[in-house]
Amino acid sequence: MSVSAPPLMVEAIGVRKHFAGVEVLKGVDLKVGRGEVACLIGPSGSGKSTFLRCINHLEKHDAGELLVDGQLVGYELRNAKLYERSDRQICAERARIGMVFQRFNLFQHLTVLENITLGQEKVLKVKDDAARARARELLDRVGLAGRDGYYPAQLSGGQQQRVAIARALAMDPKLMLFDEPTSALDPELVGEVLDVMRDLARSGMTMIVVTHEMGFAREAANTVYFLDAGVIEEWGDPREVLTHPTSPRLQNFLSKVL
Amino acid sequence: MSTDGDGSIKVVPVRHVGRWVGVAAALVVVAMIVHTLLSRLPTGQRACQGTGASRVCHAVTEWRFSWDIVFRYFTTSEILHGLLVTLELTVIAMVVGIVLGMILAVMRLSPNRVLSGSAWTYTWFFRGTPVLVQLLVWFNIAILYPRISLGIPFTAVAFLTVHTNTVFTPLEAACVALGLNEAAYMSEIARAGLLSVDEGQVEAATSIGMVRRQTLRYVVMPQAMRVIIPPTGNEVISMLKTSSLASVIGVIELLGAATNIYSANYEIMPLLLTASLWYLVVTTVLSIGQFYLERHFGRGALRTPPPTPLQRMRRDLAGIVAKFPNRRGLAGAVER
Repeated sequence: MSVSAPPLMVEAIGVRKHFAGVEVLKGVDLKVGRGEVACLIGPSGSGKSTFLRCINHLEKHDAGELLVDGQLVGYELRNAKLYERSDRQICAERARIGMVFQRFNLFQHLTVLENITLGQEKVLKVKDDAARARARELLDRVGLAGRDGYYPAQLSGGQQQRVAIARALAMDPKLMLFDEPTSALDPELVGEVLDVMRDLARSGMTMIVVTHEMGFAREAANTVYFLDAGVIEEWGDPREVLTHPTSPRLQNFLSKVL
Repeated sequence: MSTDGDGSIKVVPVRHVGRWVGVAAALVVVAMIVHTLLSRLPTGQRACQGTGASRVCHAVTEWRFSWDIVFRYFTTSEILHGLLVTLELTVIAMVVGIVLGMILAVMRLSPNRVLSGSAWTYTWFFRGTPVLVQLLVWFNIAILYPRISLGIPFTAVAFLTVHTNTVFTPLEAACVALGLNEAAYMSEIARAGLLSVDEGQVEAATSIGMVRRQTLRYVVMPQAMRVIIPPTGNEVISMLKTSSLASVIGVIELLGAATNIYSANYEIMPLLLTASLWYLVVTTVLSIGQFYLERHFGRGALRTPPPTPLQRMRRDLAGIVAKFPNRRGLAGAVER
């Protein structure tokens, strides 16, 4: 790693992961620079979500190197030995990596505002007033100003997902991970979530997005990775990869989704 | 199709014959119960008034259920003191049970085998032996351990030593026995509650950097409460009555007080009724409390929370009034 250039935001070298004997990731390589947007596409079961969850250590990878902001995820290299990081350290790192889930996973017992202030108050130790002010600002940014007191069950899927994005942004993340953020939404609600994500990309947020929205990948991503059966089959500029796929498997995949 | 003036359809509702038969049968049973509760029996004596030709005699009767005696004892100091002991036992045993049960449930769900195994063994033992046996064992614990010491395990070092019988009164033995037994049941209830919370909630909490303890406290526990509260209310009510077993080891709680009195005056039934009525009163109060607790912890689970009994009563009343739209006087009075 060179000293002068700032490290890549995410760098994966030969990342492997298996569940109960089934190898889900078979050596994934990926590089995402600061401010870049990477889209992961591929058929279901190809390991996209698993790889995403490895990046914030919701899953432990078994082999290979995975670095976020120049630091190994979950481990520490001292005297040529890998030491497992403590839960507290791992949690502190996770706090700076926002994650948006397919099923929103908003805290059902808390209001919209409380969903966004909880992490700020309990993890970042932000004062109550400041946390509320930040939450309102973020709600405004995702187009939900005035919905403070609603419970998640009272919102539409698209609104819930936008609250989930605001909740992740409240932690002031340096990297945002999106795990199929629009897959659980009715078609007419997909647009409002993608709009928020586009704005976020334009503002310079580093994002890794697992998605089936090829339109979004084409216009918002700097790089598209096609993951199939646990390996990156093809990657590159989205216009290139999505319009002139070289591998037969990507050609086959695109013919089904486009 | 015929319609009313305001456009709503006029229909003849379906007649539910079976339902009416059921209602009639239920009413007969209710009438029988009320009749027997309020019935009077002749004592065999006759009471007469007046003299000579104006002398009138009639048979003396008394309540079958001796209500006069029941209510005479209802507020005596012995019964009230017993009630207080019952409440004290219930509260302490439930607090011990809930706190320990929560800890056991969290232990049981720990990835560590020693922790989960210990919790399982605890539940297995305390749920597998009768609570009455446990009461008797704790009452007689001094036989096993005449002295209790606070010191370093497996050494002779002791900072504090006391005689078991001086610190362990029957009431304390009952609290410990009922509390430890309850913990076994509460741990299963708490475990079911914790498991009922969607895994996505844990992942979301983890992804914003919360440690396990914070996730449990701020995200999982509050949502688990919705599942934990109803059976816990059940346990409180059950404990209220199970605490009467403590009378066996000489704790004078509500039932103990009643038996003490009737062993002296032989008014067995009235005093059992006195105790029963008090148990019913407390259970009713607890049920009302449970309703509001459930409502509180159900926040966010339903789009519209269920109405309180008062709200429901008001709505029912409004419904009845609405059935008589022409009687302006009645409708107007209630609306106002």
